[in-house]
Amino acid sequence: MKRLTWFMLPLVLFLGLAVFLFQGLYSNPKDRESTAVSNPFPDFTLPDLMDESVMYDNSVFDGQITLINVWGVWCTTCAIELPYLESLKDQGYRIVGLYYDQDLDPDFGTKTIERVRTEVISTLSKFGDPYAFNIFDVYRNTSLDLGVTGAPETFLVDQEGVIRVHHLGDLNERVWQNKFAPVLAEIEHKATSSGTESGAGK
Amino acid sequence: MKIAASFIVKLLVLMVLATATSTALAQDSNSSDAADDVAEKVSEAQKMGENYLFEDPNDRKTFLKLTAELRCPMCQNQNIADSDAMIAHDMRRKVYQLMLQGSSEQQVIDYMKERYGDFVHYQPPVTPVTIWLWALPVLFAFVMMAVFLMRRKVTPEENIEAKLAAANKLLKDD
Repeated sequence: MKRLTWFMLPLVLFLGLAVFLFQGLYSNPKDRESTAVSNPFPDFTLPDLMDESVMYDNSVFDGQITLINVWGVWCTTCAIELPYLESLKDQGYRIVGLYYDQDLDPDFGTKTIERVRTEVISTLSKFGDPYAFNIFDVYRNTSLDLGVTGAPETFLVDQEGVIRVHHLGDLNERVWQNKFAPVLAEIEHKATSSGTESGAGK
Repeated sequence: MKIAASFIVKLLVLMVLATATSTALAQDSNSSDAADDVAEKVSEAQKMGENYLFEDPNDRKTFLKLTAELRCPMCQNQNIADSDAMIAHDMRRKVYQLMLQGSSEQQVIDYMKERYGDFVHYQPPVTPVTIWLWALPVLFAFVMMAVFLMRRKVTPEENIEAKLAAANKLLKDD
């Protein structure tokens, strides 16, 4: 009996290690808890991408469920998800862009705002324009506050301006059904039961 | 003699001039707003291709330590000093900005953790989940020691006596 234990011990240890390493093969290193979820959207005052005289702040979330999509024309995946986002817009969801440009930095001056605007217009006319409007994150400070690591990323913000979902990567039907739809149903259920009217939805 | 005297006069004039200019400069910098100062320094650093400047060499050391300890959320096995991802640029700039505003090392780390989670710092905090990182090696050492001691059990004494008797017998036979 004792001999059997000594014989089995390395085998059990080996199997344990094998299982541990095997599940590592299927774990997504980018998949981690977002610190933004269930916190209010960080305070911001930023201009409109197309017209710098228009300023936005946190009041854009008042009473409406909003999808904030962090994107840029330089990002290929963002262009790929545009048609899907447009289909969401057609379903009645409110999508606001948080524009994030890698080259444009007033201090570097490698790209002018006019050039960015032409590029944005041409990209949106080519792939579809799902945005109610675009907020221009000039210094990318708001993106940093949101814990954005790159583009595209999408946030679901409820009527009280609280972030409910933070998704890294592109948005598609599968992600929408698994990650956004359940939370959205919960928010809408809460909104209807408390009597307040939801801004988004069909 | 005459040359020496004129030299001393010139020197005095120069000294007076130097003090006057430096006081004027000091007043100038005092009058400028602290926030403007930070913004100016940050933009200056960017113009120079991220040559972040510090007046105090200790601050420079802290900056280098922080950028080495903070992990890039995009290129996951690089720190923000190494990484060329846009987010790493932004985080370096933020670290510099926070330090100029007088944040301590810990405050900068907390600022980043608030946004990117514990993930962003290479030194993990001790939590019920991470405690195993420290506990497992110690536990392993103890278990191995126990196994080692158990296997080295002393042979029974009667055995030794029997061997001794056998040896004595051999000696006698000789």
